Amino acid sequence: MGEVHTGLLQNSGEVPESTCHELLNLLSGERVRVSRRPIVHAVSPDLLTGVDCRLPSASRSRIRGAGTVLSRSSITGGRVVQGSSHTRIERAGSDRRQPWSHYLARPGVVEVLGKVKARDLADGFAEEPPPDGLDLGAISARFMDVVQTSSLLDRRTPFKIARTKLRWVAEPGEPAITFTLRSDQMRTIRLVHQGEFTPGVVDLCEDLALHDWLLTSLLVIIERARIGGTSATETAVKLAPAVDHLLHLWMPMARVDDALIPFWESLDRRPGFTRQWQSMVDRVRDQLAVRTLAFLRETGGGKAQ
Amino acid sequence: MLIFAISDKGGTGRSVTSTNIVYRHALQGNDVCYLDFDFGSPTAGAIFSVGSVARGTTRTGLHDYLLSEGSPEPHRVDVWTESDREGLRTKPPGAGRLVLLPGNEGGGELPAVDEEMLRRCVQLFSRLDEEFDLVMIDLSAGRSFTAELVLQATVRLPTVPFRWLVFHRWTRQHIIAADGLVRGGDGLLDVGARFGHDRDTLRDRIRFVRTAVLEPDAAELVGLRDEQRAWLSACDSELRELAGRHKVGRTVMLGKIPLDPILQWREQLISDEDVLASKIANAETAAAFDDLAKKIVDDNAWEGL
Repeated sequence: MGEVHTGLLQNSGEVPESTCHELLNLLSGERVRVSRRPIVHAVSPDLLTGVDCRLPSASRSRIRGAGTVLSRSSITGGRVVQGSSHTRIERAGSDRRQPWSHYLARPGVVEVLGKVKARDLADGFAEEPPPDGLDLGAISARFMDVVQTSSLLDRRTPFKIARTKLRWVAEPGEPAITFTLRSDQMRTIRLVHQGEFTPGVVDLCEDLALHDWLLTSLLVIIERARIGGTSATETAVKLAPAVDHLLHLWMPMARVDDALIPFWESLDRRPGFTRQWQSMVDRVRDQLAVRTLAFLRETGGGKAQ
Repeated sequence: MLIFAISDKGGTGRSVTSTNIVYRHALQGNDVCYLDFDFGSPTAGAIFSVGSVARGTTRTGLHDYLLSEGSPEPHRVDVWTESDREGLRTKPPGAGRLVLLPGNEGGGELPAVDEEMLRRCVQLFSRLDEEFDLVMIDLSAGRSFTAELVLQATVRLPTVPFRWLVFHRWTRQHIIAADGLVRGGDGLLDVGARFGHDRDTLRDRIRFVRTAVLEPDAAELVGLRDEQRAWLSACDSELRELAGRHKVGRTVMLGKIPLDPILQWREQLISDEDVLASKIANAETAAAFDDLAKKIVDDNAWEGL
């Protein structure tokens, strides 16, 4: 299970690849990985957080787990930041709490001390964690903060926008995916995959979180622009940041494992991420075209010579 | 942008004015949030007419968030959906988000400032600034650890713009006290400089707001005898002279709120409906709030002196 937080990089413009490198260099000696096609995507090294806490449970049973959480920060297109944490929940070999060295040897695994039903755990993941519970969101948020508060950024963003949180759980079985919008900022994914868990699942969830944030943000910008409810100039001014900073970032499945692409495709059929994105992009461009025509008419530049 | 609201003494109308400013700022199309940092008396919920948090929240309020390590994100109240006042419960077209972060029911003033609390405060301001156009932080009256905390926090957020509003009534005692709060021993400038603010820069980020002002030519004074009017007029010019001497004069004043009977009887938001339909509030009061909500972000009103 994991949680991905996504937000706008706190800078006036896009940051170059070299700055991404510096921003994500969270652990000296470890490399920042960068892929350049089809969009620049930089990822920090994985960092471990030790946890010994209560695990989610739909039946509110007190299940204790100990182990480590894997986290990383990433920047896509020099513009969007993500903080992502995940861990695999496994049954412990013995019911006794082991020394930390035992858990450190198994990065990204939390061992359950005592009895647990996988279904009960998975059913409970979407709830807000109790004060003593595993809070992957808090860890992800901190990994985002590290980037967002860097002195390399000027914080003069072209618009203000909320972060979104995507909480996910994956279990083996007959393939299926459910994406749910739980509130303005909270989404959940429940994914059933064939065979063993692979890191590709984390990449898939991060990619879905990124595109869900793009959709959410564009919707907010369009709502703020009040198309038809205010002057065309004001609408155009409000829409401009979307053109400058968001529209080119839509690159679904760029880093998704071939075997997991069917999950993306099924969400693209219904609810239809790309369809909604495309219709909004068209709407923004049409608005700007209409404004340009009006402007030409006002200045007389539209007259035939 | 962060705006800190403080007053020299209690009962100046600081909270009711600052809530009305954020309300007007939201109506002007901006995403705003209001942080009730008046921990000893967290009553912002009552002004926004959100009954469930009228005396602070029983969930994680700001007080708990700052004081206890590992507490979850503070409770947020969406005023447009949770207010008990019908006129507030629908978000007007074009308005931005209006979010309240209440204090804790039975919280109490901060006992001291420690490193962990400071870290959490910096994290809170940084995250909210990412999301909101304007973040209003209502502090308790006079010198307090809360004021010290935010002065330290803003030193650690050099790229986040902030401004201070000092509220005072238009009387002899209040003028002297407002000056003391800013320039006096252990005043804002003293404490700010001690923690690393540049004294002059900090001074340029402070403006005064006069509350419950009775203008000598106000309509309310029509029934007064000539002698009374002459006396009031003399008082007013004396106060103006006093304010000038205490450097609380016109040049550093951001705005003034006229005395309005409705605010003397009940601290509440003044909606356009209160002015136009039920006519319980004066149009001048609503206009003064509207004007302040614009000036607060207008750089011309904040040019260095």
